Amino acid sequence: MIRPALTRRERVIPGTQAAAFVVGIAVALLLGAVLLWVSDHSPTEVYERMFDSAFQGTDSLSRTLERATPLALTGLAVAVAGSMGLWNIGAEGQMMAGATVAAGVAMVADGLSGPLLIAVLMASGVAGGMVLMLGPALARSHLGVSEIITTLMLVYVAIRVVEWLEVGPWKDPGSLGFPRIEEVPDHAALPGLFGRVNIGALIALGLLIVFSLAVSRTAWGYELRLAGSSPDTARYAGVSMRRKVLAALLLSGGIAGLAGAVQLTGTEVRLTPGLSNGFGFSGIIVAALALMRPSGVAVVAIVFGAVQVGGQSIQTLGVSSAISTILQAMILFGALVAAVFFNYRIRWTGAAREVSDV
Amino acid sequence: MASDNADSAVWLRGIEKRFPGVIACAGADLRVRPGTIHALLGENGAGKTTMVNVLAGVYRPDAGEVWVNGQRRHFHSPADAIAAGVGMVYQEFRLVPTLTVAENIVLGSAPRLLRASEIEDRVAELSEAYGMAADPTRPVWQLSMGERQRVEILKALWRDASVLVMDEPTAVLTPGEAAELGVALRAMAEEGRSVIYISHKLDQVVAFCDEATVLRQGKTAARVENLEDMDLNMLAEMMVGSSEGGYVDRPPPREPGPEMLSLHGVSALNDRGLPGLTDINMSVHDGEIVGIVGVSGNGQKELAEVITGLRQPSEGRVTVKGRDVTTATAGDRYRLGLAFVPEDRLGMGLAPKMSVVDNSVVRSYRSQRRGMFLAMSKCITFCQGLVERYGVRVGRLNDPVAGLSGGNLQRLLLGRELAEQPSVLVAAQPSRGLDIQGVAAIQGHLVDQRAEGVGVLLISEDLDELLALSDRLLVMYEGRIVGEYGPDVTPRTILGAAMAGQVSP
Repeated sequence: MIRPALTRRERVIPGTQAAAFVVGIAVALLLGAVLLWVSDHSPTEVYERMFDSAFQGTDSLSRTLERATPLALTGLAVAVAGSMGLWNIGAEGQMMAGATVAAGVAMVADGLSGPLLIAVLMASGVAGGMVLMLGPALARSHLGVSEIITTLMLVYVAIRVVEWLEVGPWKDPGSLGFPRIEEVPDHAALPGLFGRVNIGALIALGLLIVFSLAVSRTAWGYELRLAGSSPDTARYAGVSMRRKVLAALLLSGGIAGLAGAVQLTGTEVRLTPGLSNGFGFSGIIVAALALMRPSGVAVVAIVFGAVQVGGQSIQTLGVSSAISTILQAMILFGALVAAVFFNYRIRWTGAAREVSDV
Repeated sequence: MASDNADSAVWLRGIEKRFPGVIACAGADLRVRPGTIHALLGENGAGKTTMVNVLAGVYRPDAGEVWVNGQRRHFHSPADAIAAGVGMVYQEFRLVPTLTVAENIVLGSAPRLLRASEIEDRVAELSEAYGMAADPTRPVWQLSMGERQRVEILKALWRDASVLVMDEPTAVLTPGEAAELGVALRAMAEEGRSVIYISHKLDQVVAFCDEATVLRQGKTAARVENLEDMDLNMLAEMMVGSSEGGYVDRPPPREPGPEMLSLHGVSALNDRGLPGLTDINMSVHDGEIVGIVGVSGNGQKELAEVITGLRQPSEGRVTVKGRDVTTATAGDRYRLGLAFVPEDRLGMGLAPKMSVVDNSVVRSYRSQRRGMFLAMSKCITFCQGLVERYGVRVGRLNDPVAGLSGGNLQRLLLGRELAEQPSVLVAAQPSRGLDIQGVAAIQGHLVDQRAEGVGVLLISEDLDELLALSDRLLVMYEGRIVGEYGPDVTPRTILGAAMAGQVSP
């Protein structure tokens, strides 16, 4: 019986990631065209609309960037942990925690305004995300408890806390009994840049650049890469795995928390249990497609944002939301699968189970 | 030869198996007669595990034939091998802890729906027949390691295995349990079943087994028909063997200088939590090469790790240049002048997926900084220096180090460790798996270091290498240093005996 088996390529083809990404999306678009054709739509018309609504003109572009901003931040959050082989599955929860702390600070920070207030709110977001990550990070670094489960479970805790605040202590007295939290005051909102884009996009871009440089160029990043790619070598070099794991996870939580603060003060204005809106979970896909490299996160986040914006807009052409969602999923799936094929080789093997130890 | 095939319970003929970058088996043979207990001996990496995995259907050989009970077999999965009567008992047991003994035994091969009590009765019968007491109703998590092993053996017998393969069966057993195992295996052999017995413990091999096959570097080095007539030390020598040429001339004797490295009463646990090192006292002086002799698995790995700071001793002190470093990290010890070429070159010594440049600065990246940034130009210059001085053949410096050949990996690793003039060098298996030029180059560097006044601790499985290079030889057996000899020790069989735990006074 002959079966396929995936083996990691010993030499990665240069420019692989970019090529895989493009090829994967192209294949997905071809398959999507069949889907559209079968469901009685013109593929060219639909794709044209998708592209136009995501990139044509400042308004379209601003919608795409509005989506891409939180995706870039959560993607970066997951990638920072991922560069050490850790999985922060709970960026969604840290995002909520960051938004919650920022909203709370905005309520009490009466005397502040302008850039100082914004800085304080962003720092509050970072702190919120880190606080939620503290438990999982310590459990992982000192006890070896899998961060995958602990971070995920805290997502629901964070969302429930916001639900409780909404009906309890933070209920807006002026909401006529409707359970909702007061809007963030205007002077705390992030200044806009153009269209729907605010300076949150610049914060995300700046952070991506800082982290790309930090990971690839600093001694700190060198230790992080060493610890991530070969833990035994890191121990041998005298790098403390405990401290590295703790630092990577706390930074990851902090960045996701920042995403929450940016989303609150830039886009949503009001803290609701739906504020994180799946961005934290999508960040996992963004980071995976970017192969856990901060430099790739920006590109992937923009494409991801464009696919979401485009996918919604084609519903005005009569494409059902189900087909639109399938199409979006296919594009992302195509990119993911292509990444696998470019990093692995298929080998046809006779043995049912090849174990690669000697 | 047809009659020979029919005579053999197992005949693995000319087995070849390659893995990326490694040749695990290079035409090895193994023939086991029915009704015998056959020892499969060899150093780590000699190909023992690969051979039995071929027999168990886990690997498919690249070349060679598998015959079981006189029939040519082509196993495509472990299930095929089980059906052909091959039973494996791995070192790590493969039991479900929450299920009972009886449930584990019939798991995957219950003939049809059976009542639990009926299965338990039949399991009890089976365990009685072989004198292997095991209460079929107890959950496996409650059992000792010895009892779990019995369950694994009973599982194979339940499937009516005619060939039982045991990988290091006594590693987890108490001496009493090991003796019981010997009796049970003999009972099976007398019934006409065959047992393939893999072990490093030569005294047990001689006590339990009828015949032996010794593997070395993926080939069958020797087949011993009458194990009873064999000396332990001859067996030990066969396993360690000698490689072909490539040795540098013995360096002229040199008056050893001050003490560079010392261990005082050091004990440590191994990865299983059992004593791996017991009361080690030793020292290495300026300008001498101290060789550690022994069959691998007798504490060499733990010794290297305790010295270099990768394993905490449970007792005792380690000093480098007179300073107590017992609690210092691996990095601190390097900065004090303790360099280490680990046995696991790719994985510990070098990070496979990182570039040649990144790997060349594993020790020195802290000093290659400009502010908080790594000065890439400094790193590249440093790396180029190593590559030139030590003759490392590389493609581009930014390619992952995993693409380099074994010899070049070792040159890079050794060069990096020697870059900052260490005082002590711990080298574990530095020439293993290298071609003749590679061996000569590495050994040449060790001798040069000695001449420059470095204290070298050489841990090796190659007895000829140790005899050629060392000023003193320490023999390790079961985590202890059991003897010290000069390089001119004669006859060599004294070493063999010491390696087998028989120290002649």
